[in-house]
Parts: sequence; structure tokens; C-alpha cells
Amino acid sequence: MGGLEHATPGILLTIACAAVILFVQLRRATRRGDHFIRRIAGVDAVEGAIGRCAEMGRPVAFTTALTDVGPVLYACLGVLHSVAKRVAQYKLKLVVPQYSPEAMAIVEDSVRDAYNDAGRGAAFDPQSIVFLSSEQFAFASGYMGLIHREKAGAAFLFGVFAAEALVLAEAGQQVGARQVAASVSPEQVAFFICTCDYTLIGEELFAASAYLSREPVQVATLAAQDRVKLLFAAIIVVGVLLATLGALAPGITLPSIERFFTASWSDLL
Amino acid sequence: MERPAVSERQPIDRRAQVIRAFTLLGGVYFFLYFILPETAAESLGIKARHEAISNGFIVIGAMAVGLGLFNLVSAHGSRIAFARKGWAYSLALLVGLFSMLAVTAAQWRQSLGITAEARKAQIVGEFAQRIVQDAESHAAAPALAVRAAALRAYADGLLDQIGATLLVGPPAETPLGIELRAAAASLRGSLPRLEAVPGESLSPEGKGALTDVGRAGELLSAALGAFLRQESSSTMVQQLYTLLYEGLFNQLGSAMFALLGVYIAAAAFRAFRIRTVESALMMAAALIVMLGQISLGQLISDELPAMRQWLLEVPNSAAFRAIRLGASVAALMLAIRMWLSIESGSFSSRKR
Repeated sequence: MGGLEHATPGILLTIACAAVILFVQLRRATRRGDHFIRRIAGVDAVEGAIGRCAEMGRPVAFTTALTDVGPVLYACLGVLHSVAKRVAQYKLKLVVPQYSPEAMAIVEDSVRDAYNDAGRGAAFDPQSIVFLSSEQFAFASGYMGLIHREKAGAAFLFGVFAAEALVLAEAGQQVGARQVAASVSPEQVAFFICTCDYTLIGEELFAASAYLSREPVQVATLAAQDRVKLLFAAIIVVGVLLATLGALAPGITLPSIERFFTASWSDLL
Repeated sequence: MERPAVSERQPIDRRAQVIRAFTLLGGVYFFLYFILPETAAESLGIKARHEAISNGFIVIGAMAVGLGLFNLVSAHGSRIAFARKGWAYSLALLVGLFSMLAVTAAQWRQSLGITAEARKAQIVGEFAQRIVQDAESHAAAPALAVRAAALRAYADGLLDQIGATLLVGPPAETPLGIELRAAAASLRGSLPRLEAVPGESLSPEGKGALTDVGRAGELLSAALGAFLRQESSSTMVQQLYTLLYEGLFNQLGSAMFALLGVYIAAAAFRAFRIRTVESALMMAAALIVMLGQISLGQLISDELPAMRQWLLEVPNSAAFRAIRLGASVAALMLAIRMWLSIESGSFSSRKR
């Protein structure tokens, strides 16, 4: 629905349903806290990669690449917070190369908080959050240089990526870093699968933070998004059935799912 | 549940409260704009102000560039000052940064001057059009003949200035110089017709004369802009800008992009080693897609291009859509949570 400026009644109803599901899950999580999260190998590997850096005495790199301020960045921050806390506990060096200056301020705040949570607030170095460039390939070359100079032991690539994805992942591969990537850009997933040790695909990026923290609000969000996805799957199945029936029996007038989402207010009134 | 004693309560974090309030208000605005039907947004006057409000958010974002600049100067400046490891790279970066900033600022200043000069000729066209519009709408304005005389005096002055400063020497003989001379001659030729503009109401002849002067003014503005840009291309500032931006910056970006070719080959070598069923499937699919893309594939089998198309349009599209749907639903959930500030220490202890 790219470029949609005003919601249609169908879309508004769907958003309302999603919000209700979220609130129901939040209530359930805060009262009972009995949500189950399946094992995600890539997220388990985060811990292992940091442990490896501690053994080797090498720094940890975490980049949100082209991610701008928005939901994806906040999903990445959940993971960054866990990584930074662990890095602080193990007294390792953390480098967080930045592409977006807006995101940089938020990232810095998050890393500082993680160090404070680990009880090592004084060890936080603001210069570990390095602004490289807002130009895609200038950022990529800066990242490559940084990873090679610092000889990172682990590199976490979380967020939105474009053509520079392979350049970043290859840089980590060249210095022998343990790499975990997570991207919401499906085009780049194949590159990460080829180059990184573990790859989180699409929504797993959003689940990673909840998995690492087990924090009720995040786990409830994860449960809610699974239920909303089920709702969408049901809508797709119903839509396919209706369209098939409509094609098989042209004489019968059936409701259209497409029309439900595209009909405007003026069509209804 | 018992209320905690006053001394045990958490201190109120005013900073977090302000952030939450702004997030909520911003979210309410954009949410309302999204859910309101277009007609309702128009009648409430939101639609008319939406662009200005959206531009305001862009301006705030642009301010953040200063943060990036500050971070760069602070991180690399301190490395140079304390001669830390890799200080030479930092020096190269800061020299590059400030050289580019200085040259771009000078080039921007130069282009502002060109725009201002071209604007002088544009005023001729706009003034002529304005006289016609005011006369047709009977707007309160000085007499037509007075305004036409003022237009002629301004245009004559401008043409004299162009003739004396620009249309002399070798640059005037270049194609753009000849074009500028022709545009200036066209405007000068149309000016005497302004005498036909009467003092009271606008006659068809007067309107025709003003329209012709307006068109000639616009043509002169375009020709003047092109001529001045050509003139400035030989200045040191423009040459430095071209060298740094087109000669270095763009080329370095292209070099990085070209590296992708090498990396794709290296990554493919690692990925296509058949060790599991999944990697065998990936290898087979990649082979079909690659062979189906090139004419050699068609020589092997006529079915290969169709198989490639099917692979891309059916399984590949299905997987892409599933990933996008999952990520979009997750983003929607997180957006609702962020908007209402339902956080409990997920990425910042301060938000507890």
C-alpha cells in the first residue's frame, strides 16, 4: 500500500484489530507472563560471539547500517542494548559505526544506558559510536576500514541494508569475525546467508530483542504480532477461496476482500 | 497492592516525560491525518498545513547532520591531537571534509550570484505579466503607461549592463554567447512596442506588446543563466568542485560499488559448496536463474528462461512477500508501542 495518504475504512478496521490484539497480549503478559518463545539459533549465537571476543580480546562491532529513526531502529536498539551490556560486563571494546546522524544520538543514549545497567557507566566511551558518512558507499568503505583496523572478533549487522550489505559482511569475513546479520530487506538476505555465520530473516529481527531480554512488554508484542499475522493469513485464505469460487461460479455475487481494503469512505457513505 | 512510601518511589524523569509527550502528540497528528478521509482533512484545514508540518520534521532531521559533523570532528580531532594509532587516516579524513566543505560553500555562493543575475532578467518577464494581470483584473495600480515606461527603463538598463559587461571579448563569440546576444536583441527589439500601451485600459496591441516583452525577458533569463554557468565553469572554484566531487568522490563510490562484483564471486564460492540439502537446492536454483538469464541457457534448453521466470515469480515472490508481511506487521506493532510509549526498559533503562 505504498503512497497511501489516507486510510480506507477497511485498513482502519485492520489497524484497530491489531491494536486490540496488542493490548490484550500486553495485559496477559503483565498478569500471567506465560508466553513461550521458540529457540532462534541466530540470537543464541549473539552470546557465543561476544564470549569468543572475550577469549580472543578482540572488539565487538554493531551496525544498524542504513536504518533511520523508526520501528526497525528501535528493534535493533533492543539487541544493541543487550550486546552493549554484555560487552560492558566482559570489559570488551565496542564499536558502533553510524550512517544516520539522527539515529546516532539515540544509539549513543542506548549504549550509555546499557553500560550503566551493567554497572560500568564510567567505562562508556562516546567515541565508540562513530559517525562515518551519510553516503552509502562512503559508509561502506569507512566500515571496512574500521573492521580491518580494529580486527573485530564479532560483527552484528542489524537493520536496513541495500547494496552495501555484501561489502560490510565481507569485511567481517576477511578479518575472521563471527557474524550475525538480521535484515528486513529480503533482497539482502541471500548475501548475508552466504557471508555470515547466522542470519535472522525479516521479523526475527523484531523477535531478537524480546528473545534476549524476555521482558514482558516485548514478549507480549511478539505474541501479538504472531496473532495479527494469523489474522492476515486467514484473510489471504478467505480471499483466495472467494476469488476461486467467484471464478468457478460467475453467476454468484461474492464479497471481495480487495474491495474491503480499497473501498473509500465516499464509497461506503 | 500497598503504595510505596514516598522515599521509596522512583524520581519522576521529566526528560522522559517530555519525550513521551512529544512522541504522543506527533503520533496523534500523523494518525489523525492518516485515518481522516481526504475531504474531512481538507475541510478541517489539515491538508493545507500538512506540507509545512512535514517540512518542519525534515528540518529537524537536517539539524541532526550537525551532530554527525560534531562527532566526526571530535573523534578524529582528538585522535590527531593525541597522536593515537591511525592519526594519519583521521588527518586525511578531516582535510578531505573541510576541503569539500569549503569548496562546496564557495561553489554554492558562486551559483547564488548566477541565480541573482538571471533573476534580474526574469523580473522583466514577471513585471510584464503582472501589468497584464492587474489591468485585466482592474486591480488598484499606477497608470498602465507609467508602469510600461518603468518596465522599459528597467529593461533598457539591464540590456546596457549586459552589453557592456558580458557581450564583449571572446566569450561573447561562443554558442551560448551568441544565444545571449540574440535573446538580448529580441528583448531590445520588443521594447519600443511598449509605447503602444495606453494610459487607461489595456488594448489588444498593448497586451500583445507586454506579452512579447514578457516572453523575451524569460528567454533572456534562461540564456543569461546558461552563459554565466559556462563562464563560471572555468573559475578555480568550479574546477576544484568538479575535481573533488566528480573526479574523486563519485569515482571512489563507483570503485566501492565495483568491489561488489568481486565479493559476489567470493561469497558465491562459499555458499555454493554443496554440503546440505538446502545448499544443493540453492545451487540448483541459482544455476537455473543464471543460465535462464543468458543466451547460453537458451542453447542448452528452451525451457530454462521459462523456469527462471517461474522461480523468480512464484517461489521467490512468495518468500519475499512473506518476509515483508512479517516485518511490516512487526513494525506496526512496534510503532503502536512506541507511539504510546509502552516501554519497560527494552533499550533504555531511563524508560522504565
